[in-house]
Amino acid sequence: MKIIASLKRYLQFFVKYNTSFIFIIMLVVSASISGVFFTSANLFNLVRQVTPVGIISMGMLLVILTGGIDLSVGSIVAMAGVLCSLFTHMMSLPLAVLASLACGLLVGSVSGYLVSIHKLAPFIATLALMSIVRGLGFIFSKGAPILVADNASALTDFGSGNSLGIPNPALILFLVFAITAVLLKYNVFGRIIIAIGSNEEAVRLSGINVSIYKFSVYAIAGVLSAAAGIITTARTAVGSPVMGVGMELDVIAAVVIGGASLSGGKGSAINTLLGVLILGMIGNIMNLINIPAYSQQVIKGLIIIIAVLLQRFQSSNI
Amino acid sequence: MNRVELINISKSFGGITALKSVTLKVMPGEIHALIGENGAGKSTLMKILSGAYTKDSGQIFLDGSEVQIRNTHDSKKMGIGIIYQEFSLVPALSVAENIFLNQLGATGFWMKWGRMKKKAEEIIHSIGFRIDPSLRAGDLSIAEQQIIEIAKALSENVRVLILDEPSAVLGPQEIQKLFDTLNRLKKEGVAIIYISHHLSEIFQIADRVTVLKDGSSSESLKVSETDRNSIIRLMLGRSLDAMYPVRNSIIGEEVLRAVDIYLANKVRGVSFSLKTGEIVGIAGLVGSGRTETVRAVFAADKRKKGKIFLFGKENQLGSPRKAVMMGIGMVPEDRKKHGVILPLTIKQNISLTDFNGISNHFGFIKAKKERNNAIGLITKMTIKTENENQEVSKLSGGNQQKVALAKWLNMDCRVMILDEPTRGVDVGAKVEIYNLINELSQKGIAILVVSSESSELMGICDRILVMRKGMIQGELEKKDYSEEEILRLSIGAN
Repeated sequence: MKIIASLKRYLQFFVKYNTSFIFIIMLVVSASISGVFFTSANLFNLVRQVTPVGIISMGMLLVILTGGIDLSVGSIVAMAGVLCSLFTHMMSLPLAVLASLACGLLVGSVSGYLVSIHKLAPFIATLALMSIVRGLGFIFSKGAPILVADNASALTDFGSGNSLGIPNPALILFLVFAITAVLLKYNVFGRIIIAIGSNEEAVRLSGINVSIYKFSVYAIAGVLSAAAGIITTARTAVGSPVMGVGMELDVIAAVVIGGASLSGGKGSAINTLLGVLILGMIGNIMNLINIPAYSQQVIKGLIIIIAVLLQRFQSSNI
Repeated sequence: MNRVELINISKSFGGITALKSVTLKVMPGEIHALIGENGAGKSTLMKILSGAYTKDSGQIFLDGSEVQIRNTHDSKKMGIGIIYQEFSLVPALSVAENIFLNQLGATGFWMKWGRMKKKAEEIIHSIGFRIDPSLRAGDLSIAEQQIIEIAKALSENVRVLILDEPSAVLGPQEIQKLFDTLNRLKKEGVAIIYISHHLSEIFQIADRVTVLKDGSSSESLKVSETDRNSIIRLMLGRSLDAMYPVRNSIIGEEVLRAVDIYLANKVRGVSFSLKTGEIVGIAGLVGSGRTETVRAVFAADKRKKGKIFLFGKENQLGSPRKAVMMGIGMVPEDRKKHGVILPLTIKQNISLTDFNGISNHFGFIKAKKERNNAIGLITKMTIKTENENQEVSKLSGGNQQKVALAKWLNMDCRVMILDEPTRGVDVGAKVEIYNLINELSQKGIAILVVSSESSELMGICDRILVMRKGMIQGELEKKDYSEEEILRLSIGAN
């Protein structure tokens, strides 16, 4: 009996911190099946790969916390990347970056406006924008990838360079993560976002303008998606209209692996970041040991199911 | 022979003892009232009988033979029907489907719509109501949903029927019909266990009464041989002479005036005013437009027409946010859906109405200030909890209601709207809420109370407005208070 009781306690502990455990297990497994995994070259590569999904996942987390969803993020990545490349041919680099971010903000604001003011279902509103914005990306680029202008080499240098020994994009990811984590834990904004996801009507009747908050999470997700698009362009020196196809699903998967509830009110920045890394490691390690891409998708799906089942245990209190 | 015998039932959750060898015996053809404060263990005991919980120790006998009830399926097979406080209807299905939900699979692969509807109609008629069985359950009023719950229990031949606070959402006429039905079932030999907070109902309908207090049961008393005060003493351990506070607040100038308020077709031209330090009640039957009126004033629903004046100046109060900014607070009728946010902590719920006091210019929350603020209100309101970080979902109904109130004490309210502030709350917590309302009015806050209990309104209000069909049918001064008068106005009789 005593053994069972203590086993049960361990199990509860495991279930409570399941995201961290899965992360650690993934680390150990990765390190043991491939000698290359823990080399700095590979880790840098891994971090660069997950950065776009990671940055967007913080915006997606905010949206999901309110009980919404944003399917347009992948399309915004492409549009912002294309626009940023285009703009480098027309204006100074800082302006080009700011203008592309502004376009991301605009798209996010349209989603936010449709969801908060016109009460459209987030799934529908952002599904429509996903299609519109993807199309705009093709229109702006006339269907072809656009090279970043030669005089904007600062952008590509930034994208492929390091500061303090860490890839620049990863530093931006860390910054975005830190701000999100602090907002959610210590700020009124985060508190209200979580409250809205738990019970929107009660928040409204407490005298809080729910629409502004719902609007802003989509706007933030839009800006962050644009940032991810610009960073991808900076890394590859090309803005392509086919970037980020299906990325919204990776982002949502990362947030869900991180324990967020799609019905809102539950989720944290650190676990979302771990979710992003777990998802990234799956791809990374399978590339290292030469598992073909098709099998990778199957295994990815299985890991999502396992992660979510573990969370189910948590809520049913074993 | 007894129909049901629960002998020495004990149950604990973790370290907390919910029931300490409780004994309850109910005879066939008897209506047995089970009363006690919230948290006394009534619901736990009934959930053990219906198989939702399993007992730790003790025995259950049904018609003399011991039975094992391991799950709700077992209890259903034994003919034990239960109607919970929280409804279990499927909103998207029709009334008929809901009534026969458990039996849907048993009739074969195809739905027999015609027969099902006809049978559903018969059952509803047999308890004295007329509800179209093809309506969607989600479109029914709360009172009608309650009736469907009862019909659902009756559709399976029950030997034991448990009703948990069935009258909470019913108007007087509907309660009378419910009682008629129960009396009929009693004649048919069904054993009925009736849980209620309303002592008057118990004297009206029950044969015997058992009181639960802190998980222990009293002797079963014959209702004809006992009186109100003895039952209250058993429930509280003290008598209840001073249930309502003494009113001595100073009534001052007018704070709020609502003129000719219209809301959809639920509120049709309501006007009233509120003064500082005054407590005004709104009485009326379910569906008379009481809740809709206060929601319209608070702008929770959009007014079709009407003006609102605050301190003599017109103010449209276009949204709850604007109402709150003008110092109006509202504790809504549906506590769990609108009053509190269940998965958040007490502290987080309380802070929701006013972040200015506990955060800096950038919206960063001052943790210590927030904590102290919450602890202060928890102490003031005597909310029973381990600490301020307890999830509100884990609290009892009365304590949840106190959180819903506490959140408005957080800010400087000038007008408080309380919609059914004591629904589903035990007597002890009721008294505390009455005292708090009185205290607030002494501080000069104007208070508007909506309630289905006329005795409660007469106990705490300075004036009572009685509504009927979306209009104010009459206004009663304190000297004219009587339950008969309130009822007469609310049903529009002469």
